[in-house]
This record gives sequence, structure tokens and C-alpha cells, in this order.
Amino acid sequence: MSAVYVLLGTIFGFVLSRSGAADYGYVQAMFLFENGQLYGIIGTAVLLAAPGLWWVQRRGRTAVGGPVHVERKVMNRGTVAGGLLFGVGWSMTGMCPGPILVNIGEGKVYALAALAGALAGAGAFGTLYPRLQGLFHLPPLPPARAQ
Amino acid sequence: MTLLLHDLPPLHWAISGALIAAVTVALLFVANRRLGVSGGLDDLCSLALSGPYFRRDFVRSSRPWRLPFLAGLVFGGFLSAVLAGGWTPTWSLGLFDTVIGLAPAGKLAWMFLGGVSIGFGTRLANGCTSGHGIFGLSNLEWPSIVSTISFMGAGLVTTQVIYRVVFEWSGGR
Repeated sequence: MSAVYVLLGTIFGFVLSRSGAADYGYVQAMFLFENGQLYGIIGTAVLLAAPGLWWVQRRGRTAVGGPVHVERKVMNRGTVAGGLLFGVGWSMTGMCPGPILVNIGEGKVYALAALAGALAGAGAFGTLYPRLQGLFHLPPLPPARAQ
Repeated sequence: MTLLLHDLPPLHWAISGALIAAVTVALLFVANRRLGVSGGLDDLCSLALSGPYFRRDFVRSSRPWRLPFLAGLVFGGFLSAVLAGGWTPTWSLGLFDTVIGLAPAGKLAWMFLGGVSIGFGTRLANGCTSGHGIFGLSNLEWPSIVSTISFMGAGLVTTQVIYRVVFEWSGGR
């Protein structure tokens, strides 16, 4: 199964690389309203994925007969606050999480610094989770299991 | 407008969008997986950190698919560069170099800081452009709509402030 994930990741990465979604200039041009390429991509992707995801969930079975279950996102104070913080980083780097990895693959050296930052940020969030929980009304962690 | 990568013209937006939709639906249809890249940051962190947040079943059970998927993203970028005319490490950043123009050390610091916002922000929001913006919107999930508006809005304001206010860049119009 790993090979399927590598293949799908490779297709996704190739498309992000060639479409402008992993390109600093296209990201800035989107936010400056100078170029509609990325709006077109997100719009098309959502419009076409919607009926597909609906159909797979209605079918209730994967291609190989396994169950289909989508865990829906929950709303809390982090939904907006985290989104705002992420938007600032997306603008600064011209990368969202997928494109950070794509840019590393392309050979863009500075993307390694963005990855280091993203891991530091995610690591800090996870480590501080118990303290952030009350502030942002985040869901409780399941009880720790014995190692 | 062309890509930084070998000055290529980009793939058509409709084709790109259709392929992204195909990958999104295929992940669910083939393997019951919900597309999302930023959750992979938890998976990567969980290899080194052992706090309760990183020991959740949710993180552990997603590693077997998300880590290969993330490797595919890196490989996809590599393949794209090779097929475009060759893989070469590069520091160039187009508009950033023209307008903001930081030396390599400054650029690394800028990227690291932006990366911290991305890592902390996407985990706090529980999703990024893929999990909220593509899967969540396609699946009509209210939190994803709210989060997508938030990060699009913040990105827009940040870029406008950097390029139009701080650096008073008037190009491109």
C-alpha cells in the first residue's frame, strides 16, 4: 500500500510544482490580485472533488471493499486563530505545507529553512497543547496509554 | 507570468485543479484516507518528540500513509525539476529578491519565521490548504470554510502590507 501513497504523493507534488501552487511569485500574485491561476486551481479542485467525495461516502466502501469513514473537522477558537497565523506564514514563505516539501524536492535551498520552522512550530504546538487547550477550547487528548 | 522553475509556463489551472481533485478522491476511494498535509508535521515530529499530543492513536495510525505520501511530494518536486531541464540547487526567489532582497542568511531567517507560523498555525487550526481548503471545502465542512477564509484573508493582508505598504512596490499592475 505504501507504493500507492508514494505514487499519489508524487502526482500531487508534480502538479503543485508545475501549476504555480508551489511558486513564490504565483502565491504573491494571487494575494495581490494580479493573477487568477491559483484561484482557478483551488476552485476547480473543490468543484470537482465535491461530487467525488460525496459519491465515495455514499458508496461507503473503498475500491478494495474496506469501510469509508471521514472524520470531520471540529470548530474551536483555533480554527480562526490558527488560520490567521498560517496565512501570515503562507504569505511570507510563498509556501503552504505541501509546497514546502515540493520546493525542497525542486532544489530550492531556502525551503529547508521553512521546513525546519514548520517542524519547530508544530513541535511547539504539540508540546504546549495542554496549556493551549483551555485558551483555544481544543479537544481533550485521549488518556495516555502505557508504552 | 512563468514559474521560477526553469521559467516554465504553468500547467493550465483547470487541468491542475482536476488532477488535485483526482488525487483527493483517489485517497479516499482507494484507501479511506482524508487528504491533509499539515497533519504530516505531527507525524514527523512524533518521530522525535514523545509528549502525549504526539502519542495519540490518530498520529500513530496516520504515519504509515502520511510519511510515504510526504516522501512522494518531495519526489514529485524532484521529478518535475529533472524533467523540466535538470535539477540544480537554487537560492533565487524571483519577486522576493527584486523587492525585499535579503542576503541568504536573512532569507533563511525569514523562511524559518514564516515556517514557524505555518507549523504552529496549521496545527492550531487543525488543517491547511489541503485538509481545510480542498478536502474540507469539498466536503462542505463548516470549520474548513471558516479556517480557509481566515488563512486566505491573513495571507492577503500580509502580502498587501509587505509589497504595497512597506516596500511600496508598484510593479505588476
